[in-house]
Amino acid sequence: MSLLIVIPFFSILVFNLPFLKTLRKAIFIWSIFLFLSQIVLSCCSISPSFLTKFAKPLHLFNFNLNLDGLGVIMLFLSATILLFTLIVSHSFIKEEKRRFNFITLLLFTLSALNGLVMVRDIFSLYIFVEITAIISYVLIAFDKDMRAMSAVFKYVILSTVASILMVSSIAIVLLLTGDTNFTVIYEALHMSGVNPLMMLALSLFVCGLFIKAGLVPFHGWLPEVYSYSSASVSILLAGILSKALGVYTLIRVLKNVFGLTSQIGTILLVVGTASILIGAFGALAQKNFKKMLAYSSISQVGYIIVGLASLNPLGFIGAVFHFFNHSIFKSLLFVNSAGLEKEIGTTDMAHLGGLSKRMPITATTSVLGILSAAGIPPLAGFWSKLLIIIALFVSGHYVYGIIAIFASVLTLAYLLSMQRMVFFGKLNEKFISVKEAGFSIVLPAIILGAIIVGVGVLYPLVFKALILLLA
Amino acid sequence: MINNAYLPLSLTLIIALPLVASALVLLIPTRWKSIKGLVSFTVALVTLLISILIYRNNFSFSFPWIGFGLDISLRLYPFSAFIVTAAQGFAVLVSLFSIKFMEGREHEGQFYSYLLITLGLTSGAVLADNLLLLLFFWEGLLLVLFGMIAVGGKEAFRSATKAFIINGVTDLCMMSGILLAGYLAHTFIISKMNLPATGLGALAFVLIMIGAISKSGSMPFHTWIPDAALAAPLPFMAFVPGAIEKLIGIYFLTRITLDIFKLSAGSTLSVLLMWIGGLTLLFAVMMALIQKNYKRLLSYHAISQVGYMILGVGTAVPIGIIGGLFHMINNAIYKSGLFLTAGSVEKQTGTTSLEELGGLGRKMPITFICFLITALSISGVWPFNGFFSKEYIYDAAIGKGLIFYVMAALGSFFTAASFLKLGHAAFLGKLQERNQKIKESSVSMLIPMIVLAAFCIFFGLYNSVAVKIFEPIVQASYTGKETHFIFNISPMLAAITGIILALAVLNHLLGVKLGKDGLHASDHIRNAPIISWIYTKAEKRWFDPYEIAMKLLKVFSAILLWIDRRVNWISDVFMVKVSYSIGSAIRRVHLANYPVYLIWGILGFAAVTLFLIH
Repeated sequence: MSLLIVIPFFSILVFNLPFLKTLRKAIFIWSIFLFLSQIVLSCCSISPSFLTKFAKPLHLFNFNLNLDGLGVIMLFLSATILLFTLIVSHSFIKEEKRRFNFITLLLFTLSALNGLVMVRDIFSLYIFVEITAIISYVLIAFDKDMRAMSAVFKYVILSTVASILMVSSIAIVLLLTGDTNFTVIYEALHMSGVNPLMMLALSLFVCGLFIKAGLVPFHGWLPEVYSYSSASVSILLAGILSKALGVYTLIRVLKNVFGLTSQIGTILLVVGTASILIGAFGALAQKNFKKMLAYSSISQVGYIIVGLASLNPLGFIGAVFHFFNHSIFKSLLFVNSAGLEKEIGTTDMAHLGGLSKRMPITATTSVLGILSAAGIPPLAGFWSKLLIIIALFVSGHYVYGIIAIFASVLTLAYLLSMQRMVFFGKLNEKFISVKEAGFSIVLPAIILGAIIVGVGVLYPLVFKALILLLA
Repeated sequence: MINNAYLPLSLTLIIALPLVASALVLLIPTRWKSIKGLVSFTVALVTLLISILIYRNNFSFSFPWIGFGLDISLRLYPFSAFIVTAAQGFAVLVSLFSIKFMEGREHEGQFYSYLLITLGLTSGAVLADNLLLLLFFWEGLLLVLFGMIAVGGKEAFRSATKAFIINGVTDLCMMSGILLAGYLAHTFIISKMNLPATGLGALAFVLIMIGAISKSGSMPFHTWIPDAALAAPLPFMAFVPGAIEKLIGIYFLTRITLDIFKLSAGSTLSVLLMWIGGLTLLFAVMMALIQKNYKRLLSYHAISQVGYMILGVGTAVPIGIIGGLFHMINNAIYKSGLFLTAGSVEKQTGTTSLEELGGLGRKMPITFICFLITALSISGVWPFNGFFSKEYIYDAAIGKGLIFYVMAALGSFFTAASFLKLGHAAFLGKLQERNQKIKESSVSMLIPMIVLAAFCIFFGLYNSVAVKIFEPIVQASYTGKETHFIFNISPMLAAITGIILALAVLNHLLGVKLGKDGLHASDHIRNAPIISWIYTKAEKRWFDPYEIAMKLLKVFSAILLWIDRRVNWISDVFMVKVSYSIGSAIRRVHLANYPVYLIWGILGFAAVTLFLIH
């Protein structure tokens, strides 16, 4: 299992050895192979017997590793999104040297994300969060674009604050329990009962993760970072990086370390609902495709958090399911925006229009992504939102449930107006010669669209698998 | 008699076979469309044979279906067996007739398919022993009705919509009535229901009654029939408004007056029914009198004759009910016979407008003879079947009030007058130039007419047979034991009938003298003072509840539109504006620098910490 961390890491080392320069051309194929094999591996792990055989607790460099159902889903998602990022980047980054560097970073990301998913030790978790965050700074600034630089600066500042909060929290935890292992802390906390210092530690850690996840009011950095980073990096960021850093870690820490109490539930409810609303309203007023998607991300992450906040198993399954769906449809939409960027050079919606005639595949898959995001049956997003809303009602949070439904309408409103402005309507004279985006962009879009439809239509099976994985 | 073990299967077959066959008819490729009619005919014949085999059984069975009170429970007893058999008989004859008639028409396959569905659903509705199941079949009939009229073409689509809306509304009434009745009786099983027709029960009765009489085509729910007559294919008119709708409408009306509710003679509801019947028969026949189209004239009679049945059943005395039921089957026979003669004329001459007909008697003798017999029956001439059923109804009506008898007798006068006019205008008089070369219809079209005409004579000569058929239906409700009813025709009433018919002939002669020919024989009535004003308004559809409702609906929808625009403003303008201004506010706030974002974060952290530590 530790090979998932070790192999990408060592392959980076091997490829960067100074005397193996001829080997560097193979890094593209190799990384595709790595991503694909991780996808296959995680797909196989859906069977629980495989999981128990495969996932034995293990100590590597003193890292405490373990894998559970949630982890398997994360492994699948990170490999998938990385794969598509790699494919899409192929048509953006042409220069050999830069491409090599970029792929190296992607491999590094894989290694770090796999570590993040599997560690069961709060300090190691922090280490992996930091590694991933630092890779993401580099990725965002990869194009050396001025706006991206200024955006990443804001991100670095806020992210560093988050790190400080988290480290402080870990210090307090270490002080109180004398250990950093999840289970040890969990038991110690249960023994000791409520303790103001412990609450402070919880608050510190959770707020740090709120910043990483970009939840209202900790989200200031997010819109610019998402929209100013280069096309393929946005896919990675929105699809998996910030979600793994913020949301996955939050789920992990709350479930395995601090425990989901009703107090933390209330905080999650408020923060989640605020994110849903502010993200949705913010998206409504945007005039840029990518910026709108960025705000939409805030809103959708809000749904995941709210699902978690319902504090019942259904809500938890809904949250993880929505996590999955959001990764898929948001990467799909960012792939489409990459297509626009590639073919037209802008994602400013005021200049676009009527592109469905010229870019039918992009337009169609974009509709799938939008409808899934807005929760239209039978697409995947509908079911996860449904689960979350039902869970809210089951837990008696009627007002929040109704807000979630209402915001769903807003989602449809802004995404459809986006679709209309970009793809429908009259074709602008300027774009008469625009062609469909290249294979490297269309293929990921088609596969992601197929996943949305497939998961939605096969929902009963998916739901069963989710229960098996998460129960 | 057949083995009891086969009864459930037989009942199921009676319902399911036509339904399955209807799908098959649609599946038959257009190349072989000539066999579609044959399939329909054969299936109807097979079900008819099954019905005849099991006719004498008393039997009910049920098996669970959806639950919640909706189970498939069917009951075969003399009444339902008779109605089902009759319906199948008509299906056989109409299918046979249509084979030639529908040849080469558009939507031929659809027509047969609808015909079979109608047959299956009718059998289902009649055999159902559960009101909800009955409703299921009943509503299915509504859909088929729409389809059957709509196959007539573009113009027919409007009529179909009209029929659909009118029957949809009345079916809705019936649905609420059935739910109310079920609520009152704590069951939907018809044979277990026995409700008093008072209070809520009266409301339920009226609601169900609206459904039943509207199905049979009574006023004021009749206005789609004359429209459909011109637009829909003729066999449809002969089959559905001519026969099937009378059969199940009156069947269900009888069921609710006899079984589900106990309607006592002389009660308000009974009087209400009698008034509906009386007014229907009178007004509709007045409209029939002035029609100048063969089909349209018949269609008004289809409405008028229902009046007699409702009047008879509404009296709630045995002689009235038996008279009503007898009239129901008589009417179904001669009315579909008449419609078939119209079909025969239409097929040969290509028109049913009386202005283009005339003198056909010599060219189409058999059609003419069939017309003659059926017309004499509908006019109530001894010894044809219509005479006996009408006499029973007169007898019951006069016992309930002279006014009802007067209406019925007047109706009889106008019926005779309008058929004298129709016969004169279509079959006698001068042969038109365009009709010089026409021939008699083909055998397959003549046979159904001949059979129906023969039945008119049979039920006339052996009228006691009919009384025997309907006896068991009434006796259980009225005496509780097996009694035999023997009704004697009152000589005085018969004499009056004779005088009325003679007057009708005299009136016709007068009309011919005044109007110069048969077609205009009713003009002196049409142009009589006050009446002409009413006729003019009626022709402008002033009295058509559908048109009135549609006008009201327009006003209503204008009001709703006004409200809707206001609501729409809130959702489409106001809400959007608000959303966008919130959005832009959020957008403006996010154009800040990192210290601002940092401050948000710190404030958020402070809030979370305070909440947790507190």
